[in-house]
Amino acid sequence: MTNQKFLSGALGIGVGLLLGAILMLLQGYNPLTTYGALFDYSLGGLYPLATTLRTAVPLILTGLSASVAFAAGPVNLGQPGQLVMGALAATVVGLYVDLPAPIMLPLLLAAALAGGTAWSGLAALLRLRFGMNEFITTLMLNMIADGFTLWAITYPLREIGSNSTMTPLIAKGGRLPEMGEFSTSIIVAGLAFGVIWFVYNHWTAGYEWRITGQNALFARLGGVNIDKNYLAVMLVTGALAGLAGGLVLMGGPHRFLKGLGANYAWDGVMIAVVANNGLVGTLLYGLFFAALQSGALGMELITAVPSEFILVLQAVIVLVGVAGRVIIELWQQRRRTWQLARGGPQREQAT
Amino acid sequence: MNIITGLINGTITGATAILLAALGGSFTYYAGVFNIAMEGMILAGAFFAVLGSYYLQSWLLGILCAILGSLLLALIFILFAVVLDTDEFLTGIALNLFALGATTYLLRQIFGVKGAFADAAIIPIPRIHIPWLAEIPGIGPIISGQNLVVYLALLATMGSAWLIFRSRFGLRLRAAGYNAPALTASGVSVARVQSQSLLICGVLCGLAGAFLSLGYVRLFSENMSAGRGWISLAAIILVKGNPWGIAIISLLFGFFDGLGLLLQRYGVPAQFTAMAPYVATLGALYVYSVRGRKNRSLEAGMQG
Repeated sequence: MTNQKFLSGALGIGVGLLLGAILMLLQGYNPLTTYGALFDYSLGGLYPLATTLRTAVPLILTGLSASVAFAAGPVNLGQPGQLVMGALAATVVGLYVDLPAPIMLPLLLAAALAGGTAWSGLAALLRLRFGMNEFITTLMLNMIADGFTLWAITYPLREIGSNSTMTPLIAKGGRLPEMGEFSTSIIVAGLAFGVIWFVYNHWTAGYEWRITGQNALFARLGGVNIDKNYLAVMLVTGALAGLAGGLVLMGGPHRFLKGLGANYAWDGVMIAVVANNGLVGTLLYGLFFAALQSGALGMELITAVPSEFILVLQAVIVLVGVAGRVIIELWQQRRRTWQLARGGPQREQAT
Repeated sequence: MNIITGLINGTITGATAILLAALGGSFTYYAGVFNIAMEGMILAGAFFAVLGSYYLQSWLLGILCAILGSLLLALIFILFAVVLDTDEFLTGIALNLFALGATTYLLRQIFGVKGAFADAAIIPIPRIHIPWLAEIPGIGPIISGQNLVVYLALLATMGSAWLIFRSRFGLRLRAAGYNAPALTASGVSVARVQSQSLLICGVLCGLAGAFLSLGYVRLFSENMSAGRGWISLAAIILVKGNPWGIAIISLLFGFFDGLGLLLQRYGVPAQFTAMAPYVATLGALYVYSVRGRKNRSLEAGMQG
């Protein structure tokens, strides 16, 4: 079963890269040098590797958020909004509080978690109190969070005298330290992944999330409080997306710039989709997509293929990956039927 | 008077793209396809409209290119969700992100710019001046002088209502969503009907995209659809796909869009006014769900 997952994953990536190569050939680029440059600038050496891992942090955390939510039932598509609200909460604390790092770092991380949780909690409240579907409300809350954070960094939090839309730098104690080339945000993200993986696979709560996602009626008959379960999943997944925003802020620019959230969260949703909501799959695809993104600029430098090509490549890999799963399943089904028809166990019984 | 006319015109402008996309989505809604790819279809339409209008120097060819670009996404959707039977939700998410990535890439590759492309050589879709009606005081400037696509959207609303509720195609369309085995038993392919509904959705979303990039502006910017596809999905869910209901809901969203622009002139920050349609969507969902609950409890009370 696990082998089959790896097979379909590798097949999806392989066919996706092949289709990408065909697209490049059609436009007169050399696919081999392009892919060579892409992976050289994302994996070849310590600095590229550090950049890839730094990029992977928000992708994996938002991907994890989407995976857990989808696997447990709630269609939480609010990661983009939860991410920027988490980053904004960490920014506010980082601007107005100045304490030594051992207190400051946990404080800012807690603020980021709280920011994301508040935003997903709002969607959960609208669902539980008024029956409003989180699928639409989280999408609308994304847009509202975008507008709200943009307003916050344009007016109340804006750095005075600056030409660009951004806040001042957060206090020194709130900036995540670097280990050589590597950002310590990787450690925090790794810890978060470990905790979620453990809870999801070994705790009663995680078991309840999984069975509710697979069969809500069965879960309810088994004694799961569906509403409480729903609320827990929404809060946890919101916290993960908020943490992603906090880590981007604390490990990178140390201030809230316009466009801080980039497209991380939607990439995370994509990663969850192609990983079929598996946690380990999300981790691996997150690393792979991060490699694509961090190598993109190097690729543009060497081969003149615009870095935006990676956006197309990612989407193609997702589409091929999703379709590949279905095709493999169909093929196996056919093979089973064929084996039965040729004289499987059933015919032996008959004679 | 001037403010009211401006607000009404702003309402119509804000409503048109949502209305067209939601009408497209209503076809797939009735056909039983969970189609959330409107966002990507609008975006593809907006990009290819600029592409066609700029290089072929004609707004009509621009609209045609927009429809073709949007249809391309519809065809991919059909290939995946109808032919290969992959999950419709996943296909829709992936397609929206594909449209975002592809248009951003092509913007860079073809026009050599990042962010947005605006050029005086892009031919916009003209406004239509109706000679006699324009003279009527008060409503004249509203009935006449709108963009061509606004009138097309009105025709599309009437056409959709007729097609869905009054034609043989509409009967099959609704049967595909309501009772697919019955449709199959009557000798009509469900996959075929669903594919047709997706193609219609592609055409209407392409038109919506063309209106965005060639209607009142002449530019394409990254992620230009800005959630309009999602709002149209909310509109469909709110009125269960009825084209006339969709028209009313779209005008309501358009009104908040226009109101936002108006408030901006009175010093309300643009970041807040930009939220207006999304907050309005949440408000509409709230009213809908509360009303739905009352009806349900009423039914339960009558049964008990």
